[in-house]
Amino acid sequence: MRNYIIRRIIQLLPVLFGISVLIFAVMKMIPGDVISGILGIEATEELRHQLEVKFGLDRPYIVQYLDWISGVFIGDFGESIRTGNPILPDIMQRMRVTAELAILSAVISWIIAIPLGIVAAVKRNTWVDRFVRVFALLGVSVPGFATCICVILALSLMFNYYSPLGFVFFVDDPMLNLEMIILPALINGFSISGSVMRMTRSSMLEVLRQDFIKTVRAKGASEKVAIFKHAFRNAMIPVVTLIGMQIGSLLGGGVIMEQIFSLPGLGQLAVTAINQRDYPVVQGCTLVIAFIFVIVNLITDLLYAFIDPRISYN
Amino acid sequence: MKKLLSLMLAVMMIASVLAGCGKTTTTEPEASTAPEASTAPEASTAPEASTAPEASTEPEAPAEPMILRWGADSEPTGFDPHTVSEEASLRVIPQLYETLLGQDENLNYYGELAESWEVAPDGLSYTIKLREGVKFHSGNEMDAEAVKYSFERVLGRTEAGDIGAFGSKATYFGNIDTIEVVDKYTVKFNLTTVTSVFLSNLCSNYGAIVDPAVVKENGDLMRADGGTGPFKLDEWMPNNYVSVVKFEEYWDADRVKLDGITYYLVGDEAARLAALRTGEVHISTLSASNVQAAAKEENLTVASYQTSNYIAIGLNASTPALQDKNVRQAICYAIDRQNVIDIVFSGEAIPTHIIPPSTGHWSVPLEKYDLYTTNVEKAKQMMEAAGYNENNRLTLKVAAGLLDSIRQTAVVVDQQLDPIYVDFEIVNLESGEYVDVWYKMGTPEAGFDAMVVQDGSGTDPNRGIGMFFTTDGSASVFGFSNARVDELCELALATADEPTREAYYNECQDIIIDDAGKIGVASPMAYFVISKDLQGFVPTLADSSNYRDAWLEN
Repeated sequence: MRNYIIRRIIQLLPVLFGISVLIFAVMKMIPGDVISGILGIEATEELRHQLEVKFGLDRPYIVQYLDWISGVFIGDFGESIRTGNPILPDIMQRMRVTAELAILSAVISWIIAIPLGIVAAVKRNTWVDRFVRVFALLGVSVPGFATCICVILALSLMFNYYSPLGFVFFVDDPMLNLEMIILPALINGFSISGSVMRMTRSSMLEVLRQDFIKTVRAKGASEKVAIFKHAFRNAMIPVVTLIGMQIGSLLGGGVIMEQIFSLPGLGQLAVTAINQRDYPVVQGCTLVIAFIFVIVNLITDLLYAFIDPRISYN
Repeated sequence: MKKLLSLMLAVMMIASVLAGCGKTTTTEPEASTAPEASTAPEASTAPEASTAPEASTEPEAPAEPMILRWGADSEPTGFDPHTVSEEASLRVIPQLYETLLGQDENLNYYGELAESWEVAPDGLSYTIKLREGVKFHSGNEMDAEAVKYSFERVLGRTEAGDIGAFGSKATYFGNIDTIEVVDKYTVKFNLTTVTSVFLSNLCSNYGAIVDPAVVKENGDLMRADGGTGPFKLDEWMPNNYVSVVKFEEYWDADRVKLDGITYYLVGDEAARLAALRTGEVHISTLSASNVQAAAKEENLTVASYQTSNYIAIGLNASTPALQDKNVRQAICYAIDRQNVIDIVFSGEAIPTHIIPPSTGHWSVPLEKYDLYTTNVEKAKQMMEAAGYNENNRLTLKVAAGLLDSIRQTAVVVDQQLDPIYVDFEIVNLESGEYVDVWYKMGTPEAGFDAMVVQDGSGTDPNRGIGMFFTTDGSASVFGFSNARVDELCELALATADEPTREAYYNECQDIIIDDAGKIGVASPMAYFVISKDLQGFVPTLADSSNYRDAWLEN
């Protein structure tokens, strides 16, 4: 087990290296640059050159890359060209918001999706099943931003309500924090519950059809035992895989959700930086998001062994 | 056992990721160093001596601090008045900083930090008497040394060197030779050449007076506050909000009724409308179509003013087909400006050439120019004479982007040019790429034959013409170059006599408009959708962010 984890972590390095090269190259290839953005219409050639020198953008790309990546190794992601702030503390601060939203959204989606998915599978082809399928289809097919705008407008028109602006952290004021974050979390949770629900249903259906469930039932076990103790656990592997992927992308920052609800999360940081061509910030965000993805994948893989004892990493 | 171990490991990993995120690194901007009154209740219940606002409408009650809530559409990059130029920052900067002079709604000058000013008969020096007893937010006193330092900072003459302030350019303060501290409250600017726009430039954000001590301590003013303004920087949470609170020692504190202003970032337009409707924000900006929806709401009103911005079509002078002046003029003839205004701006704009009517007497009336009277027949004949017909149409690759109004104008004009055998191939560019193409216009490297732009003429034609149409003007990107225009602009800059300057600039307009390399379309209104609770706020062209007289009713 330990060896497996160490091996996986070592594998992480080339992945992150590849990503760092890729993102560095992409940022240099896209048209537009940070200096045009800063100077606007009053730029002159000398001023452009001065700023290039100031930000080190006049050096060869390879030198710029090595300079950046060697800093990353010691936890120094550099400073934002736009704000002059060190990047890592900024990312960490944003991560708190994004992580809270991600976890809350995920929990909400499980609460909705898993019970409904099980019920739909057990009560296959009844009205309950049909309802769940329609509900799941809506979740999967209605884009999150459309739901957001409809919900915001409906609440403002019907109840004269708008979720509080600004942001406070959970530790500072739990109730206000939850009020700010619950609406986007519910919408996000609803959006992603569709696919989890479908996966739970189909996976459960498949397991329920298998011989060992028949055997369990033949032994005289109650339906509850058959479903929860035997079928559910076996049906969980694909669901956990899907959930792992979703959490990865949620932690990567729900850009649209953060934008509409004005949450100062990682997604907003990355998008603002992309628009401003603030290279070091974009590079830092991407690297952190990639890191999270890889770690979540690893955790998901480790969870397989917990769910299904037949899987072993020794 | 292994199960347990794997579970624990998983939990630990999640925990470590979250713990990493949870490190309390709240980046509370150091803001002002003065400790007092960031929580306004105390401030309003215990007004010290001179600061009780005696405005009759003001209840003196303890109640809540009167905080104006602003729904901003974009994120500020920082608050250094000498280097920042984008709109979200420029909304906040006037609260923190002041300039020596200001301009009222009729563009007349009044003293802000200056008590009086005097121009030497030869026009080569300006002596400015400062208001006494003005404090910076740090508590330091604003004096002639600070004024001198502020301008030297802009000009790159302090130890920090060139800070990239556009104000250092010749058209702003480049011709300041020396700045003399005559006495503690008198400062004298000696210029190398006579310039007609010195006073007007003193009113721009590059003329903001900053606290030398704060600059020295922080290196720059992006996140620090070195101003004398009515409000001081309280907190900035990037991508979320910026708050400023009333500066109790402001020199005109009696006049300021608000306890603070908080600028919340609400990026989505529908969300801004909802926030206005529910009273979550008191003021915001919306696009023309939503302004009409907002105006119908009981609790909202619309404050608008005519801007000196204008939408124009810039033609790339390096495109061979567009080097034929007749083709350019034909395009100008074929544009129906009112039609664009009705469709794109819901009627809330005025037709314009390259100097919008809101600049007053500087703008030559549009009616004078036949080119700006829509005449499709004539345009068609001109195009036919140039060899174009139904089988030989002219296709122009047109860049659009940045604003909805720019994109929509491109589409409408494309349709209007259909009868004169011109087709647009419109490409919508993302903002960074748009700016990149803009820089290259006028050369084949741009990859575009034309570009729809929105430019700001400012309040003086030195900007509107000098910057956009002289050969080495920094915003003259479409390849226009005319020796006479260059000469006239130089003459106008060195003249203080207004009628003479006007004559010079009028001649410039005749030449530029006849050339038709850049075709003006429409000059939009700017709107603020404001809650009826907000009173005393009157935006003008010269000063659209002044909340000194504003208060909240409820």
